[in-house]
Amino acid sequence: MARDIKFLVKDIEEATVRAAQSAAVEIMNGLVKAGPAYTGAFSSAWYAVPTGGTAGGPRSTGRIYKYDKRNVPLVKFKAGNWYRIVNGMPYADEAMDLAPYTPEAFTRRKALKPQITGFREPGSRRGDLQGSGRNTSTAPLDWWPKYNAAGQLQADLARGFRLGFGTAQGFK
Amino acid sequence: MNYQAIRAVFETPLLTAYNSLSPAVPVYFDNVMNDGADSAEEFVDINIQFGLTTESTLTTSLDMVRGVIVIRTYTPKGRGPARNQTLVNVATTALQTINATPKPPSGVYVRTGSIDGPAFSPDFGGTTPDQQSRRAFTPFFISRIEAGFQAQVIS
Repeated sequence: MARDIKFLVKDIEEATVRAAQSAAVEIMNGLVKAGPAYTGAFSSAWYAVPTGGTAGGPRSTGRIYKYDKRNVPLVKFKAGNWYRIVNGMPYADEAMDLAPYTPEAFTRRKALKPQITGFREPGSRRGDLQGSGRNTSTAPLDWWPKYNAAGQLQADLARGFRLGFGTAQGFK
Repeated sequence: MNYQAIRAVFETPLLTAYNSLSPAVPVYFDNVMNDGADSAEEFVDINIQFGLTTESTLTTSLDMVRGVIVIRTYTPKGRGPARNQTLVNVATTALQTINATPKPPSGVYVRTGSIDGPAFSPDFGGTTPDQQSRRAFTPFFISRIEAGFQAQVIS
């Protein structure tokens, strides 16, 4: 049955919010897939926050986190606001190869993702391994800009938007 | 798909630009041992990553690839940002020249997205004392620019 045109604006607003929610979930899962995972803490610390907001800490360790809509409640999104997806771990900039890596001792013996090994120059980035050595990495160097600028972000955004938009009243 | 030709579109002019400086500045590309980093006072590190190789929603061509280029410039720490920014400008100029190159009848046609940066690694930054103390020992002032790109191989 056709829906009254008077609901159009409200329906579009609701659809946009649902699309943003769904896109955030797709993007966070895409980041988990692309990024490193040793203890699992970094993978579980992605948050969609409004401008000026701050991210929380890790949600879990010991597993590669899988995001769903419960991680991004609809009430968080309001039409017309800007949102950022950020990681709340204190070493996030190192994990994203944006700052030099500062080594630390891991209590976990085996990483959650397959590791490559090599030698990391002191002061170089997390993923910058050369030759042979005992340093390890679970994601390639510059995985973040690759996800961000080489097409995967746009693909996840588009998929999430399609999924979310179609679940709203008036667009089912 | 000719990934090597796409890589060359970026690497060749950047290498030429840095080699033409006096003195020439070492440039390290992917999978090349940076054996001079311990002794060199300044150098440039270039990383090219390929992302989506096909975009069937936009084109049926298989010779269309998206990627990102990340250029890091290392200069001595504690001497101000001027030298670093001068070297960054070499890369920025080269990328803009690549972006302005007309579409050739054959070969590789590249267009870059906006150039993001330069962002500078903090000298003593970090959110924990451990990070701050370790970064204090990093001998370089490091800047970073990146640009997404789309390349088409024309045969």
